[in-house]
Amino acid sequence: MIGRRTLAAALSALVLVLSVALAEAADKKVIRLWQTETEPQTLAVLNQMAAEYEKTHPDVSVKIEGLAWGDLEKKLTAALAAGAPPDAAHGQPITCVSFAAKGLLRPVDDLADSIPKDNLVDAFRHLCQWNGKTYGVGHSPASSVFVYRKDLLAQKGLKVPRTWDELVQVAEALKEVRDGQVVRWGLTMTGQPLFINIAVGELLKTNGGRLFDAEGRPTLTEKPMLELLDFYKKLGRVLPPGWTGHSYLDTFANLANDKAAMLYQAYGRGVGYIEKYAAKEIADPDHFAVADKVVGPLGRTPAAQLDCEPWMVFKDAKGAPEAVDFLKFFFQDENYVPYLHSVPIHLLSIKKSTSRNPRYADNAMIRKWRPWVDMQEKYFRNDWIKPVLVTDWEDMKKPYLLEVMGSGILVDMVLDAVKGVPSAEAAARAQKRVEELLASSGYLKK
Amino acid sequence: MLWILPALVLITSLILYPVAYAIWLSLFDKHSFFPAERWVGLGNYARIAGDAEFWDSLWKGVVYAGASTGLQLVLGLAAALVLHQAFRGRTAIRALVLFPYMIPTIVAVIVWRWLLNETYGVVDDVLLRLRLVREPVVWLGVDHMMASLIVVSVWQFTPFVVVSLLARLQTIPLELGEAARVDGASAWARFRHVTLPQLRAVLFVVVLLRSIWMFTKFDTVWLWGEGAGAGREIRTLPIYAYMRTFTYYQAGFGAALAVIMFLMLMAATLVYFRLFWGEEDAA
Repeated sequence: MIGRRTLAAALSALVLVLSVALAEAADKKVIRLWQTETEPQTLAVLNQMAAEYEKTHPDVSVKIEGLAWGDLEKKLTAALAAGAPPDAAHGQPITCVSFAAKGLLRPVDDLADSIPKDNLVDAFRHLCQWNGKTYGVGHSPASSVFVYRKDLLAQKGLKVPRTWDELVQVAEALKEVRDGQVVRWGLTMTGQPLFINIAVGELLKTNGGRLFDAEGRPTLTEKPMLELLDFYKKLGRVLPPGWTGHSYLDTFANLANDKAAMLYQAYGRGVGYIEKYAAKEIADPDHFAVADKVVGPLGRTPAAQLDCEPWMVFKDAKGAPEAVDFLKFFFQDENYVPYLHSVPIHLLSIKKSTSRNPRYADNAMIRKWRPWVDMQEKYFRNDWIKPVLVTDWEDMKKPYLLEVMGSGILVDMVLDAVKGVPSAEAAARAQKRVEELLASSGYLKK
Repeated sequence: MLWILPALVLITSLILYPVAYAIWLSLFDKHSFFPAERWVGLGNYARIAGDAEFWDSLWKGVVYAGASTGLQLVLGLAAALVLHQAFRGRTAIRALVLFPYMIPTIVAVIVWRWLLNETYGVVDDVLLRLRLVREPVVWLGVDHMMASLIVVSVWQFTPFVVVSLLARLQTIPLELGEAARVDGASAWARFRHVTLPQLRAVLFVVVLLRSIWMFTKFDTVWLWGEGAGAGREIRTLPIYAYMRTFTYYQAGFGAALAVIMFLMLMAATLVYFRLFWGEEDAA
């Protein structure tokens, strides 16, 4: 039986400990970072990184929150509207430029200089620049990749498609029907709005097209875009009929589970799905191979989307200097390499020196899936890679790409074409809507 | 006066202030997170009048609300009549009927999306095995997305109708039905002339509430279409208002859409009361 004196002493001690803890917490500056890598192993690495930083900075508490990629802009918008943004966050490159243009961000030239700038992969050194200042430093670049079942193509004596038309022909040839049912589709693509926006940018670039002219007016009725919409109509023959309802992860599942032979918009993290769900004897890059993106009739070079969210720091954030300091810590190799290794084929290094670091290359997945890494690095070197809705780096100077992406007008245009609306009519409708959006937002004169 | 002060504070802060602020915001051209704003008066409303997307969303909302409310009423009434009868296991069945209404919307949507997936879903698998269809039905594609949303919504919200009507059925004096039976009235005649008049008052409220709630429904519709290009097929007015505010970043325009929805529902409610409340009084 516990005596009253013992109980009182225990309670007093508990109150004392709690008070000290609360007092300490109250003295600590809390910095909040939002980021889009939500895999459990990545979050574990980031939390470990935060704990290590706090050991040497006992007056700072680092809180890192993982957000789904598709939710990022909405959550940031709501936080900004409420006057409570985090101290630092990932953002799409176009989000970063949009925020910088609106005066919401703190320049991070000091962060870039600590790396230093010429150590950043050339293509992404100026990922988020506005009026000559750097407002974002990419956390890790990745490229969308075209993945195909090498064994199935070989079985049917098919060559890897290089053009839009060849893609449709090969997909048609790879479709497998049994007892009147399609058991494997030749191609899978996602109907998720964000990824349709991405695909429009990629495909348009591979067809020599552009989204905006030099004055910033949309150019949706030009020939490359009309051909793109016609291409989507042809794709409807070879894609699963429910593709407009397939999420990004559904397409990985389709590929890994042998429901589809090719995936146009894959990413390095898809390797995880293949390793987990594909038959063990084929879960390797000899079966799930990568090839160059297909080129349109008016294009000459392939193009892919850059997946590289810059770290942005908000100008009015109370913890802005501490957030920048933590990000310098983040990019140090002893922290950066474990971060990249958490999703090794997707999280590639934005630092040239880290790519050459033997500790970075010493990873079983990187060794096994080397062709996937090499393909992405090839697109970085050749500058065949741009952020979503950017067909030319000059587009990054346009502060309204975020609004165009969020409006879903380009997605509606593609869906119109897929549903049977003539391409010219679908494009004209979208052109009018984008013009109205930009004019009403003050970006364009009517 | 002091006694009603807490209620007044709550009503003002949670209802009156947000409505007044939305009306005020609708008179401005305001970016959703950039502080600058510009007075446009009724400019947003004029733009809405000429906005094809608005009329399309309005139509989709009417279709969704009308179809789902109608089906909820028919199925709910039928279920309530059945559950009003005495039979073995009635208590357990009554509890089961409530189940869809009790589970969180996100859970319901995730489960139904899996059931209706044309590649992996159980529904298409059963339909194919029974040879009711020759190829999988794409429930979440452009052709059937509205229909599948209506099915899920009816599944989720019919229990509300069942409970409301069942509660009233249980208070109808048994003698009324007995007297009609003794007079030789058929089951349909008893339902039409005895049961239905007794249910009129409850039906009046249920129809009103379900219609308003389905027209303004956001969570089920958003989650059903979220992440799908085909989500455009179910872009009802609440969804469009959300998009204009949080993805087009036009808070003033989004507020104007919300005000228009509010005014439309007010007008519809007034007309409804005028048409049917008089009958209630007469009854």
